[in-house]
Amino acid sequence: MTTREASDYSVVNRYVENAKKAWYKFSRNKMSVVGLVVIVLIILSAVFARIVAPYPKHAGAFVNYAEANLPPGWHHLLGTDVFGRDILSRIIFAFRGALIMGVGVLVMVVPIGTVIGLIAGYMKGSLIETILMRITDIFLALPPLILALAVCAVMRPTLFNSMMAVCISWWPWYARLVYGMASSLRNEVYVRAAELIGESRFHIIFREILPNCLAPIFTKMMLDMGWVILTGASLSFVGLGEQPPTPALGTMVSDGAKYLPDYWWISIFPAIAIMIIVLAFNLLGDGVKDMLSTEE
Amino acid sequence: MPRLRKTVALLLVVGLLVTLVGCGGKGQNAAKQVKSEDSIIRITEDWPVFIDPGVGSKFSDSIALVNTYDTLVFPKPDGSVVPHLATKWDILDNGLTYKFYLRQGVKFHNGDEVTAEDVEFSMNRLLKIGEGFAYLFTRDVAGVKALDKYTVEFQLKKPFGPFLQSLVRLYILNKDEVLAHIEKNGQYGEMGDYGKKWLLTHDAGSGPYKVKEVKMEEYVLWEKFSDYWGGWDPNAPKFFKLSGSVEPITVRTAMGRRELEITDELQPLENYKTMDKIKGVDVATFLNGHNLNLMLNTKKAPTDDVHFRRALAYCIDYNAIITSIYPGSALSKGPVPAVLPGHDPTIPSFKRDLAKAKEELKQSKYYGKLDQYPVSLSWCAEAPEEEKLALLIQANAAELGIKINITKKPFGSMMADAQKLETTPNASLVFVAPHYNEAGSILMSRYHSSSCGTWEQMEWLQDKNIDNMIEDALATVDVKQRFEKYAQVQKALYDLCPTIWLFDQAEKRAYQKDYVYWPTAERALKKEKGCLPMGYDQYVHDMKVYPEKRLALL
Amino acid sequence: MGINLLKRIGLSIFVLFGLSILIFIISRVVPGDPARLALGPRAPEWAVQKLRQEMHLDKPLYTQYVLWLDGLVHGDLGRSLVTRRSVTTDIKEFLPATLEIVILSAIVLVFGGIFLGIISAKFTNSWLDGLIRVISYLGIVSPAFVWAIIFVLIFGYNIPIFPTMGRLSPGVVPPPMITGMYTVDSLITGNFGTFVDAFKHLVLPAIALAMGGMAQAARITRSSMLDNMGKDYIAAEKAYGIPEGLIFVKYLLKPSLIPTVSVASLDIAALFGNAFLVELIFNYPGFSRYGISAMLNKDLNAIAGVIMVLGVIFVTINIIIDFIVAYLDPRIGLAGR
Repeated sequence: MTTREASDYSVVNRYVENAKKAWYKFSRNKMSVVGLVVIVLIILSAVFARIVAPYPKHAGAFVNYAEANLPPGWHHLLGTDVFGRDILSRIIFAFRGALIMGVGVLVMVVPIGTVIGLIAGYMKGSLIETILMRITDIFLALPPLILALAVCAVMRPTLFNSMMAVCISWWPWYARLVYGMASSLRNEVYVRAAELIGESRFHIIFREILPNCLAPIFTKMMLDMGWVILTGASLSFVGLGEQPPTPALGTMVSDGAKYLPDYWWISIFPAIAIMIIVLAFNLLGDGVKDMLSTEE
Repeated sequence: MPRLRKTVALLLVVGLLVTLVGCGGKGQNAAKQVKSEDSIIRITEDWPVFIDPGVGSKFSDSIALVNTYDTLVFPKPDGSVVPHLATKWDILDNGLTYKFYLRQGVKFHNGDEVTAEDVEFSMNRLLKIGEGFAYLFTRDVAGVKALDKYTVEFQLKKPFGPFLQSLVRLYILNKDEVLAHIEKNGQYGEMGDYGKKWLLTHDAGSGPYKVKEVKMEEYVLWEKFSDYWGGWDPNAPKFFKLSGSVEPITVRTAMGRRELEITDELQPLENYKTMDKIKGVDVATFLNGHNLNLMLNTKKAPTDDVHFRRALAYCIDYNAIITSIYPGSALSKGPVPAVLPGHDPTIPSFKRDLAKAKEELKQSKYYGKLDQYPVSLSWCAEAPEEEKLALLIQANAAELGIKINITKKPFGSMMADAQKLETTPNASLVFVAPHYNEAGSILMSRYHSSSCGTWEQMEWLQDKNIDNMIEDALATVDVKQRFEKYAQVQKALYDLCPTIWLFDQAEKRAYQKDYVYWPTAERALKKEKGCLPMGYDQYVHDMKVYPEKRLALL
Repeated sequence: MGINLLKRIGLSIFVLFGLSILIFIISRVVPGDPARLALGPRAPEWAVQKLRQEMHLDKPLYTQYVLWLDGLVHGDLGRSLVTRRSVTTDIKEFLPATLEIVILSAIVLVFGGIFLGIISAKFTNSWLDGLIRVISYLGIVSPAFVWAIIFVLIFGYNIPIFPTMGRLSPGVVPPPMITGMYTVDSLITGNFGTFVDAFKHLVLPAIALAMGGMAQAARITRSSMLDNMGKDYIAAEKAYGIPEGLIFVKYLLKPSLIPTVSVASLDIAALFGNAFLVELIFNYPGFSRYGISAMLNKDLNAIAGVIMVLGVIFVTINIIIDFIVAYLDPRIGLAGR
């Protein structure tokens, strides 16, 4: 691929070229750019929540019953909840948990699912493949939300535990995806060639097959981000997840639902926040898919 | 074929849309005339409801039992008891023998007569099963015997002062009917399952209402027992329904549509305010003899240090609690709710005093290392308002530098965690109710070592001295002496500060003032003193309902 | 096809067997003593001990599993700690209520989704297409419980045309138990009034539940229709003078439905999961609410029973969908999946 006489300069140049091409593909769809911008804003506001949120104290141990249930207004743009806490501030802080949930789960799930998928795919027809893939099937025999709920219910409700619960129901999907790719890639010429010159299985699986699976894995990760966050919100909606006073979007929605319709702002704004974050990740995911697709 | 399938699919889609739109219209209102089913009192209360006197003991169970079964004696708001199934009784052998003379001609729901044998059977069944209210009697009752058809005698192991008061929890079952419905393969030997399975959905009582239908997780419906010995007011409700739908939206909507007469007591404050605005609906607020406790685990760091516990007690903003979170409630004076007979009025209330709190904190061994000792606090998921309180306490404690970790727990997990010292959190928010109306009930069930491991004592106090004092007080037959001894226990407990008594609960229930007469609400309006044991405020027999007035509101 | 079916079913039985182990383990790591929980704090120790024996909690875990599996095969899932009845009885009572919602929801999902997709594709780039696409995007990204809350707010209060809680209006007598589904039972017994009332109670939860999948189905139908419209053979068929309707159904719609159906299958199965949250909001006394209450109350037999039943349903739906896909597209063998 690369030319032998390529100088450092042209390598850099090539990177720039590639990046430009990728950005072109990505930004062809304006919505992807919108998604990217929204995500960047959400990440920035979550990281700098203490500065961005109008009432950072309201995300912690704070109550003020004199200002409870205020409708949206100048002092509290999105109103206050039954404890007198600013809803906007709490949403901003809740983005933290949501992002940690998304990133944390994917960081744990993708390597596990990928390794299992690679091994099973490469060893197709062997006993190991049967064992690994049947175990995967077992975990796929339940709707992911149900499995996560059940696991979560028997553990102490914390953010970490609900992440673990989502992981348990999520890894099989990556195992399936990678398995499919690996089992077809193992018949490619370069894999056969590597086998012939006696490369180790480790080398073949991780050096030859894995790199060719990365693009689809990355695309799925981007698309999954939103769904993982959504699943986390569903768990906290039932009360399994981050515990108060730390804000969680799902908890805010379900707590506020008790006060519909009089105090609608308590639940509707966090609900909209969930929609926005999931939508933004979806748009971003679509853009990444466009970017990594091979068609010009 | 393909064309056919397409047509079918399209038809389905169109049909669906048409149905959706077609069903959009408002249901036509039923013709406005009073039906017999309209003479009904509907109350919401947490599910499950156990209508078996050998099993039930919670709030909802008590409401069910009080209306389905009769007891030997009946409670009054001042803490005394009056004759009910028993017309009179003798106390013999310095309080070791109680002899009851039964009312004659009282009928069970199936027509059998209530006899002394039924009383004997009911007590034995309760003791043998050991659940529900059995623990009130297991310690002290040695035996029970039917002397003749209408006389029954209880033998006690040692004197038990409030025995009469506790008999409001002995609900009389029809022996023959229960025996006829026993499942052979049960855990109680020749008694099989003691009729537990059948009594889950049926009744064998003589009370004013008979069970008509039990729909699991949803409701229990009762019908008036026309032959009730106590007689009937012409406007007494013909039906009574206990429903498990306590979701605030459901409750509020049902009140507005006049499909619910009395709500449960655990609605969010906001919901009571909204319901109060509905025409004809009023919110009854009355001190019910229950109090809210912040139970502190006295065997687990850092709440094992009395100074630390007092520091917590002095930092909480009690006024905010009784004005903003539980308005109408009263500051507690010690462990016993002030409306209960036997309460010691000389005990002071806790007050917020940060200077004092800091002083106490300095004396505690955890001073200076507070960040290493966070306090775990649980609140009960079924009582949503407790969250406001938990967060307030958390914010107050933060002012002292104490970190509190809050966990919301369903009552089931709370009970599970209370079983072991290690799993019991540092602090737990729990409403506590007396089982019969006297200070002794609270003291025994809350602070005697025998209750460690239950949700009623998450303090793990295990104090020999306190145990002896409580036992001694309960064994005193003379009322005045007994109450003096109760006062001593209360003072001793106040000094140990195992619990932060947050407030005496003002029970709030919205009800249909315009067409329901509810004695408890009337008492509340007149600000009369006293309270009834759990469940007796919902004694439907004494209520009245006016269906015509209800129709006028629709 | 027959052999494939057998193979597929055999595999499913194996998967369910594995699932039963997984579920059993999940339900037994519940902390606390379930027997003590069931009898309450005041019960004497011997009574608790008796119940422990009755529930086999005193035996080693593998024996417990074998006994549980034995019960499962015979339709006995043990006793619920909350309702104190057999879990099988509970499930029989609550499952039909949820099936009612899920079935209606699946119908809305598939037909609504395909219908919107076709409209969108037929009128590409018109305002109608734009509207449908925006709604589908919102539909996909919003969890069912958010739709549920929005519906409660709009249809429960602003335009109160649908009931927002329960299965029947108060005062309406439930039909006699035949299937347990009120709509079906009331139709069988010819009670049209009850049917309408029960059906109205289903509408909002079912649509809230269907929104996500419906939007997904609409998008996929639209894009695969557009893909296929551009294919040469369509132009060729038009040139041969094959009637538009036939081309549309046989050569355009049928192949376009394959991806829709396979994705919809996953969505339909996921309906059971989301029903857990939607039933909470509509205060609908169904299977999912029973499941949540079991989970929150650590009711181990009920948890295991509920999840196992869902597993069986999920696996069965997947088999059915595989066959539908195989029927629509003969190129896809069953073994390939």
